[in-house]
Amino acid sequence: MAEILIDVIVAFLGGSLLLGLHRKIMARVQRRPGPPIIQNLLHSLKFFFKETAFPKTASMPFYVGIIFILAVVWIIGVIAGPVTENSLLILFGVYAVYKIVEHNAGSSSGSPYGKMSCVRAVLSAATELPLFAAIVLVYAKTGTMNIAQIISYQGVHGPLVASVPLAALMFFVLILAKSPYSPFAITKGKDLVTGYETEHFGVLRGFLMFSESVAWFVLCWLFLTVFFGPISVLWLVVGLIVIAVITGFINATTPMLSPNHSVMTLITICCICFVGTILMIII
Amino acid sequence: MDFATLGGNLFGTIPFGDIVLYLTPFNLFLFAILLVFTIIIAISNTETQVEATFGSLKNTNVTVGKKEFKQRRILSIICGIASAGAMITGDLFNFTLFMALVGILNIGIVSSVKQVSVLDSAFNYGLIAMMCSLPLFGGAAIILAATGTLSLSILSSMPASPMVIFGAVLILLGVLGESGVAPFFASKAEMFRTAGSPFLVIIHLSSLFIIIRAVEILLLVLL
Repeated sequence: MAEILIDVIVAFLGGSLLLGLHRKIMARVQRRPGPPIIQNLLHSLKFFFKETAFPKTASMPFYVGIIFILAVVWIIGVIAGPVTENSLLILFGVYAVYKIVEHNAGSSSGSPYGKMSCVRAVLSAATELPLFAAIVLVYAKTGTMNIAQIISYQGVHGPLVASVPLAALMFFVLILAKSPYSPFAITKGKDLVTGYETEHFGVLRGFLMFSESVAWFVLCWLFLTVFFGPISVLWLVVGLIVIAVITGFINATTPMLSPNHSVMTLITICCICFVGTILMIII
Repeated sequence: MDFATLGGNLFGTIPFGDIVLYLTPFNLFLFAILLVFTIIIAISNTETQVEATFGSLKNTNVTVGKKEFKQRRILSIICGIASAGAMITGDLFNFTLFMALVGILNIGIVSSVKQVSVLDSAFNYGLIAMMCSLPLFGGAAIILAATGTLSLSILSSMPASPMVIFGAVLILLGVLGESGVAPFFASKAEMFRTAGSPFLVIIHLSSLFIIIRAVEILLLVLL
């Protein structure tokens, strides 16, 4: 129990700081000073002490319940990932619930911005294709879905990023799609204010930001663990920072794609990488 | 391929003849999440959707009427229970039945909505779902004919013959169409434009979770 609590706190703090670093890098690339790295963490904590307001048009208690489900689900993600190193399929399920929350947190408020975000979330379900394809390819290569066994496999055979690089690329595209201000972040486009988060205030926004920080940490941890094998804490930290730098640079220099282009780009990358990896495994 | 390799440590099994329900963290997680969502759907009101009115500065409030609310809520609850059943079943035919039921219920949940674009979308999705029921059940029938069983626990221990692989491909095609995910999602997205968020969630949730379960089943059968 103590390990779970510690890991959740580490995931929240680590994720918040990494998102803060990501934002700082984007600002520096765009020749702005940007907020301090700790700003995202301060924002998250601040919302827990703000007054919580509920829209008159909201669907209650669904509007509140779905936010708490998101937080609980990502805590389960920490347990299935860093704590127990369980099945990859559970984390796939966790990610699917994340998509559901993106979809319904928006529509449950009655806001037109949330509703548009909701419809786009249905389209952006295409981001699950790279994740699904990457998991299947990792399974095809290692013969297991268990994260601990995948780590052991890499201890013997070397990092998977060397043997199935296109699968790693697919997973990285998923991380890129989930990063703030990403070219694929159509559910949070600026034309939708903050998308599905627009009508969530106070404690609810605090829980949303908590979940996003934990989600970012777990996804990056998963990428490094599954494709770079058994790595020490120091190399894990270095890897997390490198991911924040690369995604920050890409997001700072790339405009947001239209929903249709976003979906087609993701599906195209997924198809090319999937076929490429299958050929590499066969050959 | 055994269950533990895919879904984590096996907590236990519930045998019904040759059909064995197996309880892994993966199956229990999906099952529990679906039940939680079903309970929340059962106790939630619907939102009032605010839309801009063209040609004026007024807003239009779109609400769900009482009769429509009752119809959609009961269909959503049944859809949640059917999806939860699909998460935990140990029988391939039961899975395809749950999948077909979820496809029908998804259309039913939006069929009482009085918006032309939503009904058009539901109609298009219905056509695809109907067409894909043939490969869905056909795939299961081919696997039964090739192996003599539909029990996933037995199928997981048998080598995959060419006919089993063919049947599995048909099931995948059927599940993709019935659940309306990529590349068929374009026919389904418009269904989500209507009010009634708690009911729409189960349409999306059931599709995604059934796809995840289908991946597990196909890996069990093929490897």
